[in-house]
Amino acid sequence: MLRAARGQQQAQTTKRSWNVVVFSIGGMKLAARTEDVGGVSPWTGSIPVPSRTPFVQAMQKRDHQVMPVYELANRLSRTLQGDPLLCLVARHVDGPMAICIDAAVPSLETVDAAAIRPTVSGDLETFGSVTIGGDDVTIVALQRLGRLG
Amino acid sequence: MSLRGHLKSANVLVETASFLVVRLGGSYLALPADGVHGVLTPEEAGLEQAVMATGTLYQPVDLAHLLSVVADLSGLEVRTVLYSNGHSHGAIRVEQVVGLTDVERKNCLPLPPQFRCDERRWFGGMMLYEDLLVLIVNPAWMLGELAEVVSVGARETPQLVADSPLTVGGSC
Repeated sequence: MLRAARGQQQAQTTKRSWNVVVFSIGGMKLAARTEDVGGVSPWTGSIPVPSRTPFVQAMQKRDHQVMPVYELANRLSRTLQGDPLLCLVARHVDGPMAICIDAAVPSLETVDAAAIRPTVSGDLETFGSVTIGGDDVTIVALQRLGRLG
Repeated sequence: MSLRGHLKSANVLVETASFLVVRLGGSYLALPADGVHGVLTPEEAGLEQAVMATGTLYQPVDLAHLLSVVADLSGLEVRTVLYSNGHSHGAIRVEQVVGLTDVERKNCLPLPPQFRCDERRWFGGMMLYEDLLVLIVNPAWMLGELAEVVSVGARETPQLVADSPLTVGGSC
């Protein structure tokens, strides 16, 4: 009984606030749920793969692991900024996926779930947007990236 | 280069698959070695696109075009790979022949599911070869496209030809 009540309380707490990783692509701030991020590390380049899947045209090899690269900057029509660029690993439903992001080191933020607004534009998989540090930040649904259309 | 010797040894190793690794542009591709009938220099291949060898006519396959890869086919390392699946015969020009390799089948990986379009027909999977990521070409597709081109040209009317059954997964 006590356990159930605690679980319920925890679930409500989870719903009340979201932990997000804030990163930037071409100077544009974006966020992702921490549970959807597998890690951040230096970008080591990508290997081109002949492909007709939009924005999935390369793979990245790290040690003996190979994962597809999602060209989020290209999709957002942004040019990546800084050097060295970073690699954000997305925990996609189909498996890990590498995304090249700006050199600016991502930060962790906690946002109030009630403050998340529905995204007006429907051209990117998102959970909505939220104001962080005065910026309107879109929370990208990394798990579903590339699934629209 | 003696391809025959490698093929013989591949038959002994039941759990491995043999591939000829080639390069086109920035992509490294693996052709199942049992279909490789020869590798020719530009001088040996001659100026004609089609190649006649041991009584068989190998029709040209523009693999770079099929894969939308930018390739420089004027370099010194350009080779023509004579390839056959028993039904169709293709002459495939590549920028470089990297080498022959035997790969344990468990080391042949499927293409990640995030690749969702035509490339799933193009490639049967992928593997690592000397630290390179190599895509395993589906020979049925490669030679099926050739059949499509020949058919359209012969009839002088555009007509789609059904692709050959995929050998995805069976390539390795």
